[in-house]
Amino acid sequence: MDLTESYREELRLIRKPWTGAGISLVVLALLVIPWLKMDYLVYMATVVFIYAIGVQGQNILIGYTGQISFGQAGFLAIGAYTFGHASASGIPLPLGLFAAGVMAGIFGLIVGFPSLRLKGPYLAIATMGFGIAVYQILLNSEVISGGRMGLTVKKLPALFGLTQQVTFYYFTLLLALIFTLISYNTISSYAGRAFIAIRDNDIAAEAMGVNLARYKLLSFGMSSFYLGVQGALFSLLIGFLEPNLFTFMESVTIFVAVIIGGLASIGGSIMGAAFVILVPQLFGGLRELVPVIFGVAILVILIFEPHGIAGRWLKIRLYFRNWPFR
Amino acid sequence: MKGSRIWILAVCLLLAPAYGVAQGVPGVTDTEVTIGITNPLSGPAALWGTTGVGAKAWADYINDKGGVHGRKINVILRDDGYNPSRALANLTEMKGNVFAVAALLGTAIVNTTKDFFAENKVPLITAYGDIRIWEKYPKDKLRWVFVSYPDYADEAEFLTGYAVKNLGAKKISVFYQNDDYGKMGLEGVKLAISKLPGGASLGVTIPYDVTERALATHAQKLKEGGADVLLLYTSPSHGPLILKEMAKFDYRPKVLATFTLGDPIMYKLAGADVWEGVYPATPANSGIPGDPAADKVIEILKKYDPKIVGKEYLALFGAVSMMYTVEGLKNAGRNLTPEAMINGMEMIKNWKPEGLGAPVTFGPDRRHGVNGSRLSRAEKGTHVPISDYVIYKPRF
Repeated sequence: MDLTESYREELRLIRKPWTGAGISLVVLALLVIPWLKMDYLVYMATVVFIYAIGVQGQNILIGYTGQISFGQAGFLAIGAYTFGHASASGIPLPLGLFAAGVMAGIFGLIVGFPSLRLKGPYLAIATMGFGIAVYQILLNSEVISGGRMGLTVKKLPALFGLTQQVTFYYFTLLLALIFTLISYNTISSYAGRAFIAIRDNDIAAEAMGVNLARYKLLSFGMSSFYLGVQGALFSLLIGFLEPNLFTFMESVTIFVAVIIGGLASIGGSIMGAAFVILVPQLFGGLRELVPVIFGVAILVILIFEPHGIAGRWLKIRLYFRNWPFR
Repeated sequence: MKGSRIWILAVCLLLAPAYGVAQGVPGVTDTEVTIGITNPLSGPAALWGTTGVGAKAWADYINDKGGVHGRKINVILRDDGYNPSRALANLTEMKGNVFAVAALLGTAIVNTTKDFFAENKVPLITAYGDIRIWEKYPKDKLRWVFVSYPDYADEAEFLTGYAVKNLGAKKISVFYQNDDYGKMGLEGVKLAISKLPGGASLGVTIPYDVTERALATHAQKLKEGGADVLLLYTSPSHGPLILKEMAKFDYRPKVLATFTLGDPIMYKLAGADVWEGVYPATPANSGIPGDPAADKVIEILKKYDPKIVGKEYLALFGAVSMMYTVEGLKNAGRNLTPEAMINGMEMIKNWKPEGLGAPVTFGPDRRHGVNGSRLSRAEKGTHVPISDYVIYKPRF
């Protein structure tokens, strides 16, 4: 029985010793992965970490605040190109990453304004328009997109005697852990409760004293900041940017990751990111059947587990909680 | 104690073969050499994945003939969905298991993965993407790369010159894809017109986005431009679409098209009434169905993979990549190492793979095997060559 006796206890991230042990084991395993000398595993894990950041941000917006958005590709592009130009101008990497997040966050605030008036499908269309507009601007503005040959981004150098790939792995792992911690803390804070209240009933939330404008915009700004950082990290991963990397399909991929992972679940966001990255890659040998498998897997999960992979994981944990005494 | 010794011995024995592999050349055994290919086998560019299928079919044919120096060619063909990060994932997965990579496809993919080859000492045999990527690439890294692909701008310059000199073009409009591929074509047209003062003027230049399908307004703008010649730098789906829309407005200028539209399958996509009489370019690094040398290869490919039927042009393109690889392997000799393969590729001089295309030459200071194209004309369901190969200066 989870009996919470104080507010301090409610805010604790890890409440049970075995939860702490489990998380420690997972982090330890992630730290050890590069020592297995399996470059492919390291690469795939790196991509999952990068996506996990943006998907968490979107879950804060869609899952916790209930604001449907399809403008993800636009924010990713803004973050990626901000970082690309910052890098080309010789701005240090941490500052460039921060600038990427801030720039995307500012645009998130701007796009968030319609959310004060629009809901559901109307908001989805407005944000989708933003994503498409960013793509079109990039296509037609060679100054921003780097021109005909695209924009080359200098990759993270090898550090501490590690290879470039392993250095980047640890870098993205560290950032993914930091953003996960921020997400959990945000959700446990007043802001997180305000997000949830807005999602459940915005009129009631306002009646209870939640400033709708402030918290809706905060949710948009925060989620866009996450996406901006994801875009920057993605540009560091592939070392090259062109507008076609940020089509509407990218928005759909991140949206699917949120839904499949589980709405309103930070852990689910990470699992959702892993799903959208790993499923097409693992079934790559089946060629033209890949989209079919991907689509059917989404359908099956949504039919049998509407709460996503996180919901199934919770049920498994509950099942084994008192095992074998049931 | 005795038991633990047996365990230690067993572990050592298990590790021994792994140690042996690590000491050898990745992707090479006494009986096999492994070649990696990452292609879009699913997603929006899945049709282009036929190049990889064609390459594999040719490898199967070579294997049935006994392989190369007693080694069979094992092809690992992976799907990247035309996504650069997935292509890089595939190459990372192949690392340590493949001897060389062939038929890399897509400008963004080539750009994303270009450093992989020198960093991991894996030769890259042919890449289908904007060749200007390699033009300013460091020489030490370029050593691992062998490319035979026409430069879009060079080809556009040739097409424009041909239109002015042979078709009497007075005003040339351009319909192009709004990306680096299309813009390079446009650049070539402008350059050619500037070099031919008084020859012809530039009409309207109309871009489109890859995601667009409704092209009626574009067709109307082209008609208003009133050019007597139109150059197409489009995808194989947008070229036929724009011509069909133009036909609805009864606008039928002379049309010249880039080599990506060189596949006679255009007749099916555009319809015979629209495609008949179009002048598509064909690349110097491959052949076209209808050419006797090409038809001979196509028959072999279809025998080894019947799925190629209907996509012969692209399959042929990919098969040529495998022919390059086979030639390099032959020249490298039995003692196969990456260095030997590079030497083997550099030994290719004035060579035409199975009689296809124009002669190819590689060397220590030359990695652009052939940069050229020729013009054909769409006649009665096929593309009939109407010019010799025009070879442009190799760019790297």
